[in-house]
Amino acid sequence: MAVKIEVGAGGVPHNQILIYGLVGSIILIYLTYLNEVTNTEYFAFFGGLACVAALVWGADTIKHLCSYGLGTGVPSAGMIALGSGVIAALVGATTGVFAPIVAIIVAAIIGAICGLIANHVVRMDIPVMVVSLTELAVVGAISVLGLIAMVGGTFNFMDLITGTTVVLGFTVQSYGTSVIGGSIVALIFMLAAIAIQHAFNACLGPNEMQDRTLMLAAECGFLSMIPIAVISFAFIAFVPALISLLVSLIGWFYTYMRYIELSKRDAYAWLDAQPILEPKGGA
Amino acid sequence: MEEIIFGIGITALAGALATIAGAAEDTESDIGSQGDPNSQVQLAPQMGYIHRIFNKAIAGEPPAYGLWVALGAGLAWAFMAMQINPILAIVLGSALAVFVQGVYATTAYLGRTASLAKFEQPVYIDILKSMTTVTMAHAFVAIFAAVAMCHLIISALGHPFPLPLLGLVWGIALGAAGSATGNPFYGKERQYQEQKFGAGVPISASGNIVRYAEAGERNSLDNGFFSAKLGGPASGICFGLIVFFELWRTVVFEPIAAGWGAVIVGVVVILIFAIIDRYIEVWARKTFGPYVAPEEASS
Amino acid sequence: MSALGGPAQTSGVQSPTGMGLIVSIILIIVALALAFFLVQMAGLLALVGIIIGGVLVGFGVHFVPVGGAPAAMGQAPGIATGVAMLAAGAGLAGLFGGAWAAPLGFPLALAGGAIGGGLLMAITCTMVNVVYIFGMGIPAASGKVDKDPITGDTFPEYKSQGTEGHGLPFISWVGGVVGGALGGLGGTLIYLELLNVYQAQMPALFGASVEQIAPIAVSLAGVFAIGMFLMNAVLAAYNITGTIEGPHDPKFKRFPRAIIAAAAASAVAGIFAIGLLELLGVF
Repeated sequence: MAVKIEVGAGGVPHNQILIYGLVGSIILIYLTYLNEVTNTEYFAFFGGLACVAALVWGADTIKHLCSYGLGTGVPSAGMIALGSGVIAALVGATTGVFAPIVAIIVAAIIGAICGLIANHVVRMDIPVMVVSLTELAVVGAISVLGLIAMVGGTFNFMDLITGTTVVLGFTVQSYGTSVIGGSIVALIFMLAAIAIQHAFNACLGPNEMQDRTLMLAAECGFLSMIPIAVISFAFIAFVPALISLLVSLIGWFYTYMRYIELSKRDAYAWLDAQPILEPKGGA
Repeated sequence: MEEIIFGIGITALAGALATIAGAAEDTESDIGSQGDPNSQVQLAPQMGYIHRIFNKAIAGEPPAYGLWVALGAGLAWAFMAMQINPILAIVLGSALAVFVQGVYATTAYLGRTASLAKFEQPVYIDILKSMTTVTMAHAFVAIFAAVAMCHLIISALGHPFPLPLLGLVWGIALGAAGSATGNPFYGKERQYQEQKFGAGVPISASGNIVRYAEAGERNSLDNGFFSAKLGGPASGICFGLIVFFELWRTVVFEPIAAGWGAVIVGVVVILIFAIIDRYIEVWARKTFGPYVAPEEASS
Repeated sequence: MSALGGPAQTSGVQSPTGMGLIVSIILIIVALALAFFLVQMAGLLALVGIIIGGVLVGFGVHFVPVGGAPAAMGQAPGIATGVAMLAAGAGLAGLFGGAWAAPLGFPLALAGGAIGGGLLMAITCTMVNVVYIFGMGIPAASGKVDKDPITGDTFPEYKSQGTEGHGLPFISWVGGVVGGALGGLGGTLIYLELLNVYQAQMPALFGASVEQIAPIAVSLAGVFAIGMFLMNAVLAAYNITGTIEGPHDPKFKRFPRAIIAAAAASAVAGIFAIGLLELLGVF
């Protein structure tokens, strides 16, 4: 007997979250462009915040999609979102200042096509499949681009493929110690893939509440920012990386505490070292 | 010749690290109850069986371990790029990856259990406090061994992939191998210990996992104690053999026949495993015998 | 609120809709034309290779025996892991071997990739049977057929009561190895095609030698190969709807849909991956 996927009703309408997520993440990721304008690296952490906004939107999309009967499970939706998103993000990165816009357009194309294929060729026949996979691909692309901007300080392809390394005491330019050359993109891909699907997957059940799910999505976003901030110490200067790390830690701590409060609110009982409470009706 | 001997030495070391990683991975996922057996932990309260088992619902083991090992590898790579000693870099990277894993584990337990409030399943905070640190410890062993193995493959054997990418590849393979081998043992043998040995769990018993056992009310540490006796080592051997044969056939036989020697040896090894599998399958049929006489069986 | 809507419950295999087929064919043709336009003959051949690689991945996933949650209880035959990620594990192990053998030539790298994937599945399937037989005392039996097509073993009397079968009968074992080999072959093919395209274009673009830009080419090709592998594996998993016993399972006959789906999705993702560097410097 399989576990039934049930979705809680009520809460903020999905389209509202879509607009907040899309507009919010675009604004936040363009704030990292201030790095190029001011020739510093202090605004790198806005990329991570863009990723958090996108993940909150993505978690609600997965919930919306699964309420229509996506039987094979939640994690695969995250995989297909990120599979398309990472290609779109890197294609976008090659266009310089238009990177977020191009990434979103390319992701929407790939996502819509995957949705069409899933509905019409593989015959999933889920009403919201095309729209949801489009949204998920866009979320994936923004998450990847945001985290790339956070770790490298920029979303410009040419700046992402050059880095410096120390050979025999001399600092030399090297393609190998760059964000793309060192395959940090692979790590970002997996971070975002697990983070997108975790919020809904972990809150799955009859008493799923939208505010708790979205708070968990934000917490996953900030949690993903923490290792990215640590890795950014290798690419951007010390103080900007420290700012990134502090923003990530504070954001994570706050969302984590709020999530625990919301779980306490929703749980049937919050017991410490108590025996099994058999249900009142008996097993 | 020296190169081949060096390569064989590294291969043996990588195989040993892979075995440790596989064993730790399976024990960790059994203590945290991740993957397909976790669907029973999720189902039990819905059938009225309240329990004190840790419900770690973080996707499946392959993507989860892909992430932990890629994280460990990515952080280790960054530390090495900052000129930190490789061993220290791998230790620090694994420690930070384990922190992320621990946080994911706690949010998964809280989320799933809070969403089961309708079936009167309480959140047991002491389970959260005691199990999380144990899964983190096993995960650290698994991640450290896997990242160290990847680092050896790159720096000593010359694989072209950068460390994070190789970490992702072997992390997903580790999760797949460990989950395939260890899950049935944990799911059937330990979770359904009260069912008859030597047969699968009948569908009518779904959800009726063991909740009161030899040490009082069962928790996930009891499950880990049991599955570490067979499931863990079996997963370790599985992943260790995979890594060892993959490296060994390349290091030793690639110089032969312009590289085709490695391919031929690979085919031979697959055929040997086919023979082994067929032998134990026939042995099981003969030794255990059918459940009912063939004429009585209905398909 | 439980799952609302969802696929229509009809018996038999639903073939792709007319619109799905037409859209897929148009997409493949448009992508091939773009590839020729952007990178001439090399690009066209590369995209054909990527499409074939994606099709091999999608087809190979149908061979892998996956039982899902019931298999973890000894209630269903197959491996107790998700189908997309098990195939990904095998395919990526194959990619590891194939990438290592890349300098030795195309056919050798492909063979290495196939053997790598097949070897992982061979060892894993054998160990699964070891655990079932020696750890749990359960012989292998299939629930979908009465006799093993290869060995002639009969199954009904070896199925425990109340289950659908358990373990890995020899046909499932063979299916697993074939699936792993096809997955490894497909993933390696995608990786090699992209690597060739990037190694041809990058030295001229960046004014560096092939060895210097190698990390970038390898990382980009590797991340795209993994992303496309997961996209195709998830689409194939949607086709299978979660669990399949192997090539003898009636669900196996659904594979033509997955082949069309994989071809179209790989064509679209592939053209973006091939055209990635063309956008550099345009903006």
